[in-house]
Amino acid sequence: MPRSGRFSLGRSAAVAGRVLAQIRRDRRTLGMLFAMPAVVMLIFGFALGGQVSNVPILVENQDAGYAASFGATGAALNVGSHVLASLQTDSAVSVTTGSFASGKLGVDSGTYFAAVLIPSNFSQVAFMQVQGRNASAAIQLYIDGTKPSVAANVLSALQGAVQNSSRVKGLSLVQQYAYGGKFSGLDVSLPSVIAFVLTFLVLLISLLTVSRETTSGTLPRLYTTPLTAIERLVGYTLSLLVVGIMMVVVVLAVGIGLFGAVVRGDPLLLFGAAVLYALSQVLLAVFLSNFARNEFQAVQLAPLIALPSMALSGMLVPVFSLPAWIQPISKVVPMYYANQLFEGIMLKGYGVGMMAYDLLVVVVIAVLFLALAMTTVKDRMDA
Amino acid sequence: MIECENLVKEFKEGNIRAVDGLTLSIRKGEIYALIGANGSGKTTTVNMMTGALAPTSGRVSVLGVEMPHGKRLVSGRIGVAPQEYSLYPDLTLEQNAGFFAKLYGMDSKRFRSRFEELNEILRLRGREHSLVSNLSGGMKRRASIECALLHEPEVVFFDEATVGIDPVLRAFLWDYFRSLRSNGLTILLTSHVMDEAGKADRIGLVRAGKLVDEGDPAALMARHNVSSIEDVFLKLSGKELTDA
Repeated sequence: MPRSGRFSLGRSAAVAGRVLAQIRRDRRTLGMLFAMPAVVMLIFGFALGGQVSNVPILVENQDAGYAASFGATGAALNVGSHVLASLQTDSAVSVTTGSFASGKLGVDSGTYFAAVLIPSNFSQVAFMQVQGRNASAAIQLYIDGTKPSVAANVLSALQGAVQNSSRVKGLSLVQQYAYGGKFSGLDVSLPSVIAFVLTFLVLLISLLTVSRETTSGTLPRLYTTPLTAIERLVGYTLSLLVVGIMMVVVVLAVGIGLFGAVVRGDPLLLFGAAVLYALSQVLLAVFLSNFARNEFQAVQLAPLIALPSMALSGMLVPVFSLPAWIQPISKVVPMYYANQLFEGIMLKGYGVGMMAYDLLVVVVIAVLFLALAMTTVKDRMDA
Repeated sequence: MIECENLVKEFKEGNIRAVDGLTLSIRKGEIYALIGANGSGKTTTVNMMTGALAPTSGRVSVLGVEMPHGKRLVSGRIGVAPQEYSLYPDLTLEQNAGFFAKLYGMDSKRFRSRFEELNEILRLRGREHSLVSNLSGGMKRRASIECALLHEPEVVFFDEATVGIDPVLRAFLWDYFRSLRSNGLTILLTSHVMDEAGKADRIGLVRAGKLVDEGDPAALMARHNVSSIEDVFLKLSGKELTDA
């Protein structure tokens, strides 16, 4: 027997054995122990494994071609068609053809990432360049500047296509950025950082708060009072909504006040959208806490939700660049809509009209979580 | 007032039959003590009576209402002090009591007068603003009783409510319980302290989820020809180890 004053590895082993036995008995923790790293690794692996690809762009080829020197043989040169064909075979972009004007509108509404206009004299200028004559033509590019890395990829694809098609100088690119210009790295990352912080912290704090009721042993008394399960659930939601609003205030104050985040849209709409999203996360937490038996289990649920959300919501890689089979999953991740909302309001200056769909989806998500919470909340110890 | 008929409760986890065909009837204005060893099914029985658990089979009704289906109809007329303190340790005594008073729909004036009255009776005056976590075990127990009595219920359930309370205060509490009974209150309490149960009007002895005998203390002792309730219990349990 080791003397009590000395360090005893045996006693430490007893503690370790006891902790492991507790974990072994806690099947949910055990499940998460294996499932969580596997799920997170899989999701991040798929999300980050590929390069930026399938960026939706619209191209209008106005190039009339140039037939002057090939008139006798009937052959005509159309460099614009070659550029278009080259872009269509490039997996970096997903090309739709149409009018440049509609493409610009599509960029403004988020349908396309860029709109490209190949001018009518494009082939003529290319031909004159070959002949050593002085001429110039410019491809117009209207591009979303809110994702600099994606913009760089589109630019590179376009430059490659032009290079492959003409191999002449004097064909330039005129870039115009949508939403009022280029953004700094901080500007473009802050909307999704705000979405992530609200996802993770509102969930974590809400889960901890609600699960404390379970561990404090007060539920057996509450079950015997006139308080109904739904009243209890609404009470949690109201109090946590206050917590959520406080967190939104802090997150926005730091983001805008300290980091000078760009807010091109209505700050009140931004605040409202953030509070609405925080409410959806509170309701998710209230729903999930119906299944957590202790605070430890509750704490594990927050990263289990937040980390895949980070990978799937477009925070790290644009959703259109994720593998095709993952993209539908992204559309059911609440944080995807938070990203859309915060990016739309902050960077693109969207108003309620443009954000109506995303706001509505967040409302639907909140109602869904409320319904799930209401149908799973217990009003008895054995319910 | 409280009726149980062939009450059974099984828990899937551990394959336990905690209550096994228990039948009893408690009258209005009676102090009834359910006694038995730890794990004999007392708390499970109380939880079914208060609607916190649903029976696997059998019936239980309180104030004429079947539980747990009708618990919303009677929950404002019953008070419960669970075996655990069931209080919020990070709130003060007053905050805890105020919270439960609101659940029972008490207005602040009624709460204030009731709270002061019970603080006096339960010797909690001066501790109103103490965090429950800072109260002694006995004080927590009294605070739990206070929260069960605030709304002047017609039936109260005290699950091991007097454990950890010093003998002087316990004697005082029993006097208080008797005064409540004379005002028509029905009290069901559980205890594994046999001599304490002897102060009840009637006793029900529970073993392995079954009611093995019942009656007023004197009649029970006479029937088993012993001089204490503890002896009755030991006789009925065959002096075997009491932990089920």
